[in-house]
Amino acid sequence: MPVVEERPTAIADREAPAPSRPRGDRLVASLLAEQGDLTAVERFAQVHQDAAEPIQAQYYSALLPAEPPGPGQQLAFEVDLGRCSGCKACVAACHSLNGLDADETWRDVGLLIGGSTALPVLQHVTTACHHCVEPACQSACPVEAYEKDPITGIVRHLDDQCIGCQYCTLACPYDAPKYNPAKGIVRKCDMCADRLKVGEAPACVQACPHEAIRIRVVDVAEVRADAEAGAFLPGAFDPAYTRPATRFRSLVPGDLRPADDHLPTPEHGHTPLAVMLVLTQLAAGGFLIELLARLAGATDGVAGSAHPRACLAMGFLGLGASLLHLGRPLYAYRAILGIRHSWLSREIATLGLFAKVAAAYVAADLLFPGWLDGRPGLRLGMLAAVVASGGAGVGSSVMVYHVVRRPYWRASIAGCKFAGTAVVLGLAVALACLGVQGGRATTPLIATALALGAATAVKLAFEARDLDATGDDPLGRTARLLRGPLRRAVDLRRTLGIAGGFVLPAAAVLVLFAGAPIGTAIASGLALGASLAGEFVERSLFFRAVSKPRMPGGLPS
Amino acid sequence: MTTELRREGVLDRLLGLVRARDGRLTRELRREPGGFGLGQVPASKAPDATTGVVCGFCSTGCGLTVHLRDGEAVNLTPTADYPVNRGMACPKGWEALTVLDAPDRATAPLLRGADGRRREVGWDEAMTTLAARFRAIQKEHGSDSVAFLSTGQIATEEMALLGAVAKFGLGMVHGDGNTRQCMASAVVAYKQAFGFDAPPYTYQDLEESDCIVLIGANPCIAHPVLWERATRNPHRPEILVVDPRRTETAMAATLHLPVRPKSDLVFLYGLANLLIERGAIDRPFIDAHTRGFDEFAAFVGRFDAEYVARETGLREEVVRDAADRIANGRRVSFWWTMGVNQGHQGVKTAQAAINLALLTGNIGRPGTGANSITGQCNAMGSRLFSNTTNLLGGRDFADPAHRAEVAEILDIPEGRIPDRPSWSYDRILDGVRAGEIRGLWIIGTNPAHSWIDQSRFRETLGELDFLVVQDMYHSTETAELADLLLPAAGWGEKEGTFINSERRVGLHKKVRRAPGKALADFQIFKLAAHYAGCDALFDEWSSPEAAFQILKRLSAGRPCDVTGIADYRALDEAGGIQWPFPAEGADPSPERRLFADGRFHHPDGRARFLFEEPRPAPEPAGGDFPMQLLTGRGSAAQWHTQTRTAKSDVLRKLHPRDPYVEINPVDAEAAGLATGDWAVVASRRGEARARAFVTPTVAAGQLFLPMHDAATNRLTLAAFDAESRQPSYKSCAARVRAARAGEIPRRADTSTSH
Repeated sequence: MPVVEERPTAIADREAPAPSRPRGDRLVASLLAEQGDLTAVERFAQVHQDAAEPIQAQYYSALLPAEPPGPGQQLAFEVDLGRCSGCKACVAACHSLNGLDADETWRDVGLLIGGSTALPVLQHVTTACHHCVEPACQSACPVEAYEKDPITGIVRHLDDQCIGCQYCTLACPYDAPKYNPAKGIVRKCDMCADRLKVGEAPACVQACPHEAIRIRVVDVAEVRADAEAGAFLPGAFDPAYTRPATRFRSLVPGDLRPADDHLPTPEHGHTPLAVMLVLTQLAAGGFLIELLARLAGATDGVAGSAHPRACLAMGFLGLGASLLHLGRPLYAYRAILGIRHSWLSREIATLGLFAKVAAAYVAADLLFPGWLDGRPGLRLGMLAAVVASGGAGVGSSVMVYHVVRRPYWRASIAGCKFAGTAVVLGLAVALACLGVQGGRATTPLIATALALGAATAVKLAFEARDLDATGDDPLGRTARLLRGPLRRAVDLRRTLGIAGGFVLPAAAVLVLFAGAPIGTAIASGLALGASLAGEFVERSLFFRAVSKPRMPGGLPS
Repeated sequence: MTTELRREGVLDRLLGLVRARDGRLTRELRREPGGFGLGQVPASKAPDATTGVVCGFCSTGCGLTVHLRDGEAVNLTPTADYPVNRGMACPKGWEALTVLDAPDRATAPLLRGADGRRREVGWDEAMTTLAARFRAIQKEHGSDSVAFLSTGQIATEEMALLGAVAKFGLGMVHGDGNTRQCMASAVVAYKQAFGFDAPPYTYQDLEESDCIVLIGANPCIAHPVLWERATRNPHRPEILVVDPRRTETAMAATLHLPVRPKSDLVFLYGLANLLIERGAIDRPFIDAHTRGFDEFAAFVGRFDAEYVARETGLREEVVRDAADRIANGRRVSFWWTMGVNQGHQGVKTAQAAINLALLTGNIGRPGTGANSITGQCNAMGSRLFSNTTNLLGGRDFADPAHRAEVAEILDIPEGRIPDRPSWSYDRILDGVRAGEIRGLWIIGTNPAHSWIDQSRFRETLGELDFLVVQDMYHSTETAELADLLLPAAGWGEKEGTFINSERRVGLHKKVRRAPGKALADFQIFKLAAHYAGCDALFDEWSSPEAAFQILKRLSAGRPCDVTGIADYRALDEAGGIQWPFPAEGADPSPERRLFADGRFHHPDGRARFLFEEPRPAPEPAGGDFPMQLLTGRGSAAQWHTQTRTAKSDVLRKLHPRDPYVEINPVDAEAAGLATGDWAVVASRRGEARARAFVTPTVAAGQLFLPMHDAATNRLTLAAFDAESRQPSYKSCAARVRAARAGEIPRRADTSTSH
């Protein structure tokens, strides 16, 4: 369509603009100036300028407890589900009245559906932090950034203490702590503690048009008893774990299920954590193979000093990668504070110890060549200490995931996978070191290749079981994810495993017999690469395929 | 001492490195008393002043207190003492400021060049082009060959100025609003029944009823703050919900009546028959204040419970039960919204509800009424003052006396007022297709998403010689089609009044600066008049508040008389004022209802019983399309085509990310669909891809698609109510199947949680 450049003069059969009228561009300029002028304050009266007390109190005062909690009591949200209509004003109000970041919300509204064909049920569920009697976030936190107020029972997060490890987001089965990537910390609902302190209602209580949310005093014993009896909310995680204090009232009876019950969605892959786990396990496994080799009489270990050095380097790389996971890595040193209750603290401590002992062992050989050779007992002792601390580290890693009560992460699964990774990659590193030396030691190379093949076979078979579950339980959801949205990653993991565990090691051996040591070096190096990549994918799936316990939800937003 | 202190300071800092109880991050979330009766607010957004405005999304018309710093909005909270919402708002209201800060705001006029690309131009060039192009088209094809499509989302003053400039200045004859899509049936129903478009109620009626009948309405989701008023009802009311779906509101009902789609008219006639049969009528009221009852009673005689049960799919005893509950109520109120208005017999269905109120005498008293819940924030302003179908002030273009009145009030030549009403929206589009309309000016609405039978609509727009779109965002489906895009300031960046569902005139104010060169719609209309050379006619319209004074004069002596409202300041201080509010003898109560004296607006003062034979839906399910497709609002966090609400991260979190279709478990199983699977929903006109949401709340044989996805209206059928010309969005034939691999959007597999 052509642009008309012509400037209209007076329109025919209409009156021409009076000569005194401003030119168009001047009118535009004055309108733009007028547009930028904000005058609401001057033009209109200020109401409530001197009102000290909140006017909203007339609506919410009945929704607050008359008395503060006494001994054996705490504060809790009480949600009247019969009144929750799903408008979600509580979420928006919490966001605005607490000054949260643009995309940050602390409250969620989930959905339960079910009932019968004759009487279907649609139940929205507003939910935030349950200020649990036994908060899993608090016991998980490695830096003691959580505290439970001894009087109100409010579980408060200390934002400046947080290092952004996000372990609490894994530990909480209700999705209450929210990681804020921009700030590098977790933040969460504190029941608007400052508001309650001065008799004001929390934002959500103030904002619910239907008075569905109130604050009440609950007896801790009652919360415990309900939790033991499993009484909380259909579709929510077993309350016996953390003893959530929130009371849900007037739920319609019937078979209700979370609207997202049949909709498993992949979780975050946590790449730095996957790298950390795989490489620290590689290092632990590598030193184990080194110890076994020496116990079996190999005076040079697996492949001389190169092998422990390679294992140590990989281990350090893994520990370094874990820092990338932290929102505030500068404060990582605080992670030891929670050693008495947090498996994450213990993991960090044990893996740190492992790194130091292993470094001491490698340094001894590096700084004083031959010194340890004359002291085989001391060498074995040091190696045993390295292996023991490595084992403790890997064991702590297992516990980190085991204690958050996700069936896919329990010790019987995570333990086998982590140990399997240690063995497979320990052997793969050994094979690579032997291969790089051009296969001078033929028998160890063949033995290692065979062992690697066997270990890989066992591990792949173990992992394959994950796909078999069919139920509606968490393991069934994991299996559906692995068979569905994650199937390509599963295929990749298998391909890499077969390549790194069988094909390439076999090739390394075959080319050795064909008299091409350089081929052996390349093939064994590639075998390590493929095995390593395969384990990374396996570990990424470990995170992505887990069925995360949470409050009932709907279709993903 | 000093050294000791310093040492302590150092020690504290060292300890703080280990255990930090306070610091920058903690302080970011600090709350402090906000003053102004607000209670604690985020310290980072503590106000130095506050001011009240009405919300600019829906017709509920909530009051919002804007927190200001240096005159500019930094936050808002629902106004605690506003008579509508009493300290509450839905998520859209809470996020009303957020949506102003979008990167796709239109900040300068965009003109499409000969190469088809849009480039930024100044206002001078933009308005020169607009005037020249429209004038050229009008010269060649007649002055009625340029039309406008406006909105219920702008201030009454702006609508009135647009209607005046376009029709009295630029010589256009045809202009309609998107209010045609939501309200037209209610308007016609009221005009025919009451003699004026006069919703009779006040929200307080929701709190005073002992029986609330909701027909095709889901206020829990569509009007959450109205539902607030119902939940504050102390009389433990019966709540009857007529809706094919088991919605949130149906869940809260004491009796849910899941009638088959579009059998509501039969059902309401059946209720009337049962009530008449058992004598549950108010004979004195009928005799004194209505006409046509006997004909109506004779007409509904055949709608016996058995017939109604067969037609609606309800059990006979349920139909009787519903009638009993209405008969037992002493204060029964009937409420309807889009489920009724957007029907092929929307007017008569609305009048069927009105008939029930009339025959039971449930009107004019607290807790009663035949009450249409409006859609947009200013649909009611548009009904009176948009100068589209009605001449300004609810007058008739065809009535010479009315034209003379308006000409005198506005001091313009009478000959400038068209002597015929505008074509309706669909007729304007037919006109485009027929080449009768060659230039179109679309203001504040997004028909390339919202108009029924979308594919055909887009072809239609392509027929135009010149399309002007005026919007806050340059990215709406419609804005992207424009030859000329005019950047408009949004709600909060300009001032004016809205009229809400209960006839309350409320004020909104300028509390933010518009981005770039965006101008208030009012100013753009002033520019249009100037560049068309007819601004002398509109000298008195110098500001929205000056325009408000003109509107007052236009309302004088009309049922919507607001001459008693002095000015904006008076409106602000009163917390909104319901019409009528005449200069003489106005009742100052904050909540008022109409027809307490039983006098309606027909010359004889009597309301009419109006009815017609129910007709089957225009496209019944069957054959290749065996299912009924219903459409409607998805969540309280979404507004219409989402041009605004999609700009808020918080609002986006409150509804499913992907389009979804609600489907009964029986149908889902037959189609091999589980929740979350991608499905293809098709009608005779088009296809939409959506994730299945398997739920028994939708009956077997029915599907529900939210209207917020642009694909939904590729499916809907362009059928209209014959009297109101409102599109029938809520019923067409469709089918569903699982999507094939190639039809699944790629991002479906991506990780969603953290």
